[in-house]
Amino acid sequence: MKGRSWPLLSVLAFGYAFLYIPIVLLILYSFNESRLVTVWSGFSLKWYGELVHNRQLLESAWLSVRIAALNATVAVVLGTLAANALVRHGRFRGRTLFELLLTAPLVMPDVIIGLSLLLLFVAMQQTIGWPESRGFTTITIAHITFSLAYVSVVVRSRLLRMDRSLEEAAMDLGAHPLTVYLQITLPLIAPALLAGWLLAFTLSLDDLVIASFVSGPGATTLPMVIYSSVRMGISPQINALATLIVALVAIAVLIAGQSMRRR
Amino acid sequence: MLQAKDLGLALVIALAFISGPAARAGEQTVHVYNWNDYFAPDTLTGFEQETGIRAVLDLYDSNEVLEAKLLAGSSGYDLVFPTTHPFAARHLKAGLYQPLDHSKLPGLERLDPDIMANLAKVDPGNRYLVPYMWGTTGLGINPDRVHAALGEDAPLDTWGLIFDPEQAKKLAGCGISLLDDPTEVFSAALTYLGKDPNSQAPEDLEAAAELIKQVRPYIRYFHSSQYISDLANGATCVAHGYSGDILQARERAAEANKGVTVIYRVPREGAVLWVDVMAIPKDAPNPEAAHALIAYLLKPEVIAAASNHIFYANANSAATSLLSAELREDPEIYPPPEVRARLFTPSERSEREIRNLNRLWTRLKSGR
Repeated sequence: MKGRSWPLLSVLAFGYAFLYIPIVLLILYSFNESRLVTVWSGFSLKWYGELVHNRQLLESAWLSVRIAALNATVAVVLGTLAANALVRHGRFRGRTLFELLLTAPLVMPDVIIGLSLLLLFVAMQQTIGWPESRGFTTITIAHITFSLAYVSVVVRSRLLRMDRSLEEAAMDLGAHPLTVYLQITLPLIAPALLAGWLLAFTLSLDDLVIASFVSGPGATTLPMVIYSSVRMGISPQINALATLIVALVAIAVLIAGQSMRRR
Repeated sequence: MLQAKDLGLALVIALAFISGPAARAGEQTVHVYNWNDYFAPDTLTGFEQETGIRAVLDLYDSNEVLEAKLLAGSSGYDLVFPTTHPFAARHLKAGLYQPLDHSKLPGLERLDPDIMANLAKVDPGNRYLVPYMWGTTGLGINPDRVHAALGEDAPLDTWGLIFDPEQAKKLAGCGISLLDDPTEVFSAALTYLGKDPNSQAPEDLEAAAELIKQVRPYIRYFHSSQYISDLANGATCVAHGYSGDILQARERAAEANKGVTVIYRVPREGAVLWVDVMAIPKDAPNPEAAHALIAYLLKPEVIAAASNHIFYANANSAATSLLSAELREDPEIYPPPEVRARLFTPSERSEREIRNLNRLWTRLKSGR
């Protein structure tokens, strides 16, 4: 081990252990025979078998994924527009207020966002009749409000560091501003858009507090199911589901990494 | 390279897919809001097959969450399962439920008369609430460690384990926990003193407070669910708690097989009877379907299957013979008649009484 001191390596090892041991344990215990999530009693795949038949758990996972994907997509669009306004349009009137409002959800406690949105939705339903019932739509709207703030921060920093001369060159060559934006700017900030999308997806997927405030009949998200099963004891089916999610994410990251390298 | 136009198209398709199919018209739906794992796995599918009504289940993790949803209004649920005391009682006062149409609920007469009489204290005439599952509030005990501390022949089925300062002192080392609920703890203390557990007389409450104060130093914590895992892994040895939770701790301890045994005892002095009930919110979109589901759950074979699965006692007298022998003969779940005679439901308290109780409670918990 030339050139690398063992204290550095041990810090590295500690860091990895800190990050990944919980996930590894979660995966290991999904193959546990016992109903208890903390005691090992033998290898078994039975929880995967039971998971396939657990309509409640699978439906809620699917609901969470749908909400997260829609939320991430809308948040990326809106967040990018907001970031553009802040970076490209100088000192427009109301800029400070806009910036403040945009970043507020970053620091606002979930409980407050959740409660105020719930009250808003109830008031809207009573006055204009929409949303008719709370559920998929309201959870997605609620998630977009805070995801959008995170996306705009990510995209904004990328826009600031971007080389503007590329855009200017395209415009010199006679390209329409929209074409410049779609052909030059967007591909250049694409990594930030992807990062923002993934961030928004993750934030939505594990939000419990806001979702439980604004959810309604027929809309129990995955975190809500997991949390509500604490009373009767968490079933290893949840480990099995989490393992599948980790596997899917790992595969997606691998594919993304491969395609990036090829470019 | 991907064109912006294609990207837009892909986006639209993806969004249409994600937002899911619109609800099929004309199909009846009942929205059920219940605790997780509180039905048998086939309860709702059986209901759907029999009635053609689609049942959508949502889950909550505490009565407080349910209460928040109901109070916010237009929750959209057709049938909910609150615990009677203090939640359903409070909800009734706030007018959150609609009266039931008894003509649509054949099988009501099969319900246990004692439990119905107890429920009538908060719901006169049983007009709003139908009992679902019930249990008691008693003691979760680790018999090995309690016997080690108190001697082999110490009786376990007594509130004395907690409220007798001599015994509590000896048990403090292995851990005593109390529920974080003034009504439950004061009822238990009053029962131990041989007084009316629902007494509001100031001298009775003072006496109970004095008793709790004496044993306060030996109580490790006040919490309403923490004791489940602590009992199961042997971190505490006496817990004041709900029968269902302690039986779950018993189950977990047995599965872990680490030499911890947990038993549940209804104290011989008497104990609180709790009932989880079914109720239809006032603004339920489909009360007809909710009635149909209650009627389905009143069938002895349906409720027996649910009890067999979740290990809670149900309130249906006709279902008892259909239960698994293991469940029916478990005195911790279905207590014998002489124990049942000593169970009681907390009666409703006025705002002022609740304030008094809470004040005493805060003082006791903080140990001043």
